[in-house]
Amino acid sequence: MSFDLTPGEDLRQILDAAETMLGTHYPVARLGEGQVDDLAPLEDFGAFALAVAEDDGGAGFTLVEEAQLHVALGRHLVTPRALATAVARRLDAGATVCAGVAEGEGWLALDPDGAEAILVRDGGGLVLAALGDTTPVEALGHAMPMARVAPGADNRRADAATEAVARLLTSAQLLGVATGACDLAVEYARTREQFGRPIGSFQAIKHQAADMAIGIEQVSALVDMAAIALRDGHEDAGFQLSALARLAPRVALANARTGIQIHGGIGFSAEADAHLYLKQAHVLRQFLGADDIMSHSAPLTPY
Amino acid sequence: MELTPTSEDEAFRRAARDWLLANRPAGPAPREGRASRDYATDWLARCHAGGWSGLAWPSDYGGQGLSPERLILWYEEYVRARAPSALDCTFVALNHAGPTVIARGTEAQKAFHLPRILEGRSIWCQGFSEPGAGSDLASLRTTGRVEGDVLVVNGQKIWSSYADIADYQELLIRTEPGSSRHKGLSWVICDMTLPGITVRPIENMAGVTHFAEVFYDDVRIPLDNVVGDLHDGWSVAMTTLAFERRTAALALQLELSVKVEDLIALADAPAGSATAARLADLRAEAAAIRAMTWRTALREPATPFDGSLVRLSFAELAQKVHRAAMDILGPAGLTDGHWSHDYLESYSETIAGGTAEIQRNIIAERVLGLPREPRA
Ligand SMILES: Cc1cc2nc3c(=O)[nH]c(=O)nc-3n(C[C@H](O)[C@H](O)[C@H](O)COP(=O)(O)OP(=O)(O)OC[C@H]3O[C@@H](n4cnc5c(N)ncnc54)[C@H](O)[C@@H]3O)c2cc1C
Repeated sequence: MSFDLTPGEDLRQILDAAETMLGTHYPVARLGEGQVDDLAPLEDFGAFALAVAEDDGGAGFTLVEEAQLHVALGRHLVTPRALATAVARRLDAGATVCAGVAEGEGWLALDPDGAEAILVRDGGGLVLAALGDTTPVEALGHAMPMARVAPGADNRRADAATEAVARLLTSAQLLGVATGACDLAVEYARTREQFGRPIGSFQAIKHQAADMAIGIEQVSALVDMAAIALRDGHEDAGFQLSALARLAPRVALANARTGIQIHGGIGFSAEADAHLYLKQAHVLRQFLGADDIMSHSAPLTPY
Repeated sequence: MELTPTSEDEAFRRAARDWLLANRPAGPAPREGRASRDYATDWLARCHAGGWSGLAWPSDYGGQGLSPERLILWYEEYVRARAPSALDCTFVALNHAGPTVIARGTEAQKAFHLPRILEGRSIWCQGFSEPGAGSDLASLRTTGRVEGDVLVVNGQKIWSSYADIADYQELLIRTEPGSSRHKGLSWVICDMTLPGITVRPIENMAGVTHFAEVFYDDVRIPLDNVVGDLHDGWSVAMTTLAFERRTAALALQLELSVKVEDLIALADAPAGSATAARLADLRAEAAAIRAMTWRTALREPATPFDGSLVRLSFAELAQKVHRAAMDILGPAGLTDGHWSHDYLESYSETIAGGTAEIQRNIIAERVLGLPREPRA
């Protein structure tokens, strides 16, 4: 069929296997215990070679499957090193890499422990550079280890195709964050009781949860459109990707915020997980950078 | 997952575009009354003659039996060509009554009504809501008493769109004495010219008369006009849910993208301005509505309540787009123009066909599995 948005059997199998792997090695509870993510299980799973051709030692799938895998990584709040690795492999096979963002005169490295290189979002796009001396800084609400680094000298700027992949995968992770925040809040709303009933039976809670579901549906439909358009080189790929990049961070932040509110006091505590989604959303949003939706022509322009 | 048109798809798309550009009516649609009916039925008759009516209807019943992807291609060309709004007085017949008769009607009902609908010869309205039964439709009280081979109908319906210009009404009434809620209802074809029917048109907040109150005073409807089994009307009314992803609602959802492009052209906002940022948001959200529309149509199996997610997203974005238009227009928005008029009309989006609150209840309960509302 020429037009079909049904996830294929292959994709379903990959996602099932990924969920098992992520549940074992990256349960969200690990973050409360201060565990630092090791990327080895992801590497073993083939997460970074999913869209690499079989002849080149990859799994021979495409960006469409890889995007869905990153949604799952987003749900598990996997370190941004995974995202940086997936993108950097397209520029340079070698070094272990962390993500970073230009901030002031320098760079801010995100969860840089053990990294040799850094993939940084600056005003001009993404650059890959060797990671120089790091000075740890206190991260927003202990979100994750962060460090300041001087901009590396030997930079390599990502080409447009890699930039597009980075935006797609980062947006996919933001969708995962939005979904994880919603799942957690809905589960809590089903079980937490006040006034003798589950709080999820109150409409004020229900309707906020419904809004989370709506945001997820919007972004997830755009992930499908953008991933397919990018994979197949459709004319509207830039437009779809920009629409996605504009909505994904907004929905992730909104869902994280709503998730905290639905948890009440425990949502404000560092002991429940609700706040983790908010911080991951902020980190990913900065790594994603701004969209350029007004610079594309829309597919449905009137005649 | 694939979105690559075949050469046949491309040929279909070109044929649709050529036909639409050559045949779309030149002037704007009259807003109300007989003239609006004539405009809509002329257009439908022209579509029919061109082989473009009953697009989603099975070919056995005179439809085109288009696949979901072809329907989407057609509607995308439709909105880009600015063909007449799909939400005119032919909407209920083509997207609701017709499909219901196809699914549940008798051969005689099909043979009589379906060709008339497709050719634009009969207009239908929907008589479900009552003064006391809106969101809680199952509390409806209009009755039909079985007397020999007729139903004697008494009661009142309200907000029935185009009842003032319709030939038939899909009427949901309580036929089993003493029944309550979803039981004991029947779905009946009501001829609007029958004695005992009084239609009182109601002006809406945009100053247009689209909907009406309908009173039934001993209206005698043949039992042959019951669609599905007597007292089984609720399930008949729900049949159309199965058609939801294939209706002209697709056109309305896709049309929003065109409206946003029009608004961008109207605003001509400097890059970096607050207005440009707002338009960028609307553009992205319209793209999401389009993506959701495609996905609900093109993903199998259909997940039953996806419709609520798209519909509510659409309704709220439609209102947002028109609010932005009013801000952009400034004082010009105070006079009756295309955008200012549609702005007022857009207030119905979160009310008609299930309010935003009811949609949110459905999403929370059916999609997310939160505890159910108290039931009457
Ligand atoms: C333009 C337009 C066209 C229409 N066309 C037709 C037609 O052709 N045929 C037809 O039969 N009907 C038609 N309707 C009627 C429409 O279906 C009803 O208006 C709608 O279902 C709401 O019912 P109501 O107006 O009685 O509002 P109510 O049900 O009284 O609602 C009032 C308010 O209470 C809220 N509310 C109600 N119940 C709940 C709840 N359980 N939880 C939370 N909030 C709740 C609603 O969301 C709303 O904000 C049309 C309406 C409009 C505006």
